[in-house]
Amino acid sequence: MWIADKYIDHVKEQTMEHPGESWEKMLLGFKANKLRTKLLPKKGISKGYQKLEAMMMSFVADSLGKPESYVWGNIFAPSELIGCFGLHTLSIECLSCYFSGYHLEDFFIDYAQNTGIAPTLCSYHKTFVGAIDSGAVPVPEYAVTTSLSCDGNLNTFRYLEKKKGVPFTFLDVPYRDDPESIDYLAKQLKDFAKELENRFGRKLEEEKLREAIRIENETRRALMEFFQLQSERYYPGELISHLYMMMGMHLLIGSQDFLDLIRFMIRDIRNYPKFVGKKILWIHLLPFYQETLQSYFNSSRKYQIIASDIIMDSMEEMDETKPFHALAGKIIRNLYNGSYSHKAEMVGELAKSLKPDAVIQFCHWGCKQSSGGSLLLKEKMQEMEIPMLILDGDGIDRRNSHDGQIRTRLEAFLEMLDTGEDKETSKKEEKKVC
Amino acid sequence: MLGYICKYAPVEIFQSMGTEMERIEPEVTNFNQAEIRMHPNICSFAKGVLEEIMKKDYEGVILTTCCDSIRRLYDVLKEEFPEKFIYMLDTPRITKEAGIALYEQRIRRMIGEYEKFSGKTFDEKKFLEFIKDREQEQQYAGKQGTLNIGILGARADDSMKEILRENKANIAFDLTCTGLGRKILIDEKEILAGYTRGLLGQFPCMRMEQAANRDELIRRFAGSADGIIYHTVQFCDNYAYEYAWLKEWLDRPMLLLETDYTRQSSGQIRTRIEAFLESLAPEIHRERPTGKGEKAMYVMGIDSGSTSTNAVIMDQDRKIRAFSVVRTGAKSGVSARKALDGVLEKAGLSREDISWIVSTGYGRVSIDFADENVTEISCHGKGAHYFNPKIRTILDIGGQDSKAIHLNEKGEVKDFVMNDKCAAGTGRFLEMIARTLEVSLDELGVIALTSTEKIEITSMCSVFAESEVISLIANNKEKADIADGVCHAIASKAFGLLRRVGLESDFMMTGGVAKNPGVVRAVEEKIGAGLYICEEPEIVGAAGAALYALEKYGF
Repeated sequence: MWIADKYIDHVKEQTMEHPGESWEKMLLGFKANKLRTKLLPKKGISKGYQKLEAMMMSFVADSLGKPESYVWGNIFAPSELIGCFGLHTLSIECLSCYFSGYHLEDFFIDYAQNTGIAPTLCSYHKTFVGAIDSGAVPVPEYAVTTSLSCDGNLNTFRYLEKKKGVPFTFLDVPYRDDPESIDYLAKQLKDFAKELENRFGRKLEEEKLREAIRIENETRRALMEFFQLQSERYYPGELISHLYMMMGMHLLIGSQDFLDLIRFMIRDIRNYPKFVGKKILWIHLLPFYQETLQSYFNSSRKYQIIASDIIMDSMEEMDETKPFHALAGKIIRNLYNGSYSHKAEMVGELAKSLKPDAVIQFCHWGCKQSSGGSLLLKEKMQEMEIPMLILDGDGIDRRNSHDGQIRTRLEAFLEMLDTGEDKETSKKEEKKVC
Repeated sequence: MLGYICKYAPVEIFQSMGTEMERIEPEVTNFNQAEIRMHPNICSFAKGVLEEIMKKDYEGVILTTCCDSIRRLYDVLKEEFPEKFIYMLDTPRITKEAGIALYEQRIRRMIGEYEKFSGKTFDEKKFLEFIKDREQEQQYAGKQGTLNIGILGARADDSMKEILRENKANIAFDLTCTGLGRKILIDEKEILAGYTRGLLGQFPCMRMEQAANRDELIRRFAGSADGIIYHTVQFCDNYAYEYAWLKEWLDRPMLLLETDYTRQSSGQIRTRIEAFLESLAPEIHRERPTGKGEKAMYVMGIDSGSTSTNAVIMDQDRKIRAFSVVRTGAKSGVSARKALDGVLEKAGLSREDISWIVSTGYGRVSIDFADENVTEISCHGKGAHYFNPKIRTILDIGGQDSKAIHLNEKGEVKDFVMNDKCAAGTGRFLEMIARTLEVSLDELGVIALTSTEKIEITSMCSVFAESEVISLIANNKEKADIADGVCHAIASKAFGLLRRVGLESDFMMTGGVAKNPGVVRAVEEKIGAGLYICEEPEIVGAAGAALYALEKYGF
């Protein structure tokens, strides 16, 4: 057994026996991992994805090490605005993933369920609630959540406010995309900025926010270019690389460092060979621990995930001159907001420009907003003649993902794609003969 | 006619335009349509609404953005019925002025679209007259001399209230979104703005930002109830948060009741509600014997479970005179007869010697020779206390369900939780695995004790767990180790139930699975304490039922 594995087991045992007394050890593990990803990056994946992992590891380890440096958020919280106050946004979804590094998700999930939290709730939320409620993880001074993209947000943050005394700002994101909605949300964002000013004793410099928005626009354009290249070139990464990218696009968006990384990836990918396998557009979360999916997609020359809707969930060109309205517009027009046909359209746009061979949607346990529309998306993809596979499982709790079921479905689907290719080739060959 | 589901829907607007409005309350037996059109993990209520709309001829449906499942329901309906008025009303979660202004704007826009759709017109003055005439709907109130029950949580259908009424309990309040009377605010100057303010000013549901105020309101209401039923709907997770929170501070007994809006679950709902009422007021709703058999003092308890039917005859000194355990066959009535004949024969008594018979268990209502029935929860409590008065927590694992019961020092039920929805964690699961391992059920527990390698069964569902076991067999794992892994899987499920009722010692295990030494050892390891198991763990419920019968006569 590796030293790292032993350490993980030790921390897990300690936490389960005495939640709250092992936090320093958990933190030490995160810091050690930060160093590891910098000094000994994972082999077999591209340099860009190595750098991305190192960046996300330091982001979380550094923030957790300084409790006054961050607020809790959800993945759609306006991190650009929070960043203007010199604060980091640690999203609860992202933290749950990090806790699962210690294989503690089942302990935390059971803990939450045993206090009465619904077993059918999203496992990311259950992991987080269990981690905090059990006392295993310390709490920050403040938090913020949007109502987007699920019902769990308001309820989880409210529950933790009551139980652990972490006050939070709630941003109500309207369903409709119209000027009234944008005014309504922009006003809430302004109030939130005032709240941060008062709480943290710092004034908002609007120019900083404008600069963040300029960078954000460039980052989104750069990312689209990178996706384009990733659909043409073999760029080895792992399932978790895409999750890191999603975290970066939400929690570090608007920062120069993150833009520089994407630019580096654009340069780096050009050194890689042409990709000749099947191109997959991934919808929703990626169960990074799942063995079968790992074996098919990690650094695979046959099947490459070229983009995901959770990374590119907004295609908004933001107007820096009206920063609050720009932020509000971006959140409201996010593909996870509004009707499913809005989402299907945006996924359709992505598919049009990236031309994937197939779409895979992973229906994460407890995520009604995403799973609920999966059949509609499949219809849309059928119209576009793109084969789509719906997989059921859990993004974090392995007990809810049955490997046998996932394997059978995935393999059958990939066989179908490969057979389709054979047919096309033989058709061409037939033509040639003719 | 338009259908609607949410209390924030501006129903009166349409009514003033002469449109009939009907609140959709699904009464379905299956989710056949929903299974084709929606993902299975969508809230059962939303699936039920889809079934209703497919069945009935509505001209349209007014939905609100109340939750994720309803948002997806809208998408499905919109696609399914392009010619109908399927409208999604974007309802703010903030009830301050900004929210009211936005909602009023949304309502006005909806009116415009409905006018276009129906050819009807909306007249604000007519609307004002219409809402002025509306009477305040009847609210519930506490009543003396009976059990007062409050209902909280997610929308509750009428079946729950019917069971309460049948058991002569009074509904003191119903704070779910279907139980509250509508609040209509009349503002003659700003008619629609006033009306909107009233709508958003209703008792907030969990989707609203303001829901924090619920605590204070619940605290005030709770005073008028002896107990509270906290209702949640399967795959709707919002209310479970509140339940978890209220459990910490609300000083009223609370029953967590999850339903799925289908008729299939009504038996399970009944058992839980009746057991809850019994725990609140053990005497209140019991019939008195009518002069029958005052002299001869033998009573009987009969427990009709899914695996075994057990009968106990007790004398007036609370001594067990005889008991019988028979396997429940295809017909519970026949097995009950068999158990009755068997126990009478063993005791050397005839049916006439028995003064009173109390039935319990799932089949309790189908035993025609019983004088009354009491739920198995209360009977297990009473039975456990009888065998060992130190017991505070019971774990009962039967053939088709498992439950944890918390008792006070008098043997009265203080809290209970049941798992009767999934086979994992029950005797059935063990039977399945024993078959797969090709050992008898009795052997399974014994060989588990000889295990040398720790194997973890991770699947939470019995079907998946079985395939997991099959792959372990394929990997040449030892039977003993697999058996031990299965016993630990059952123990983990059981531990979850036990934790939810508080883990107070001493512990007792009852039901058929208590005879399995492998499971017993695994549970003991989990709770870090010994389990008291009586000689015949299957008759504890029947013994409790017999004790109930004796109590009739003051013994």
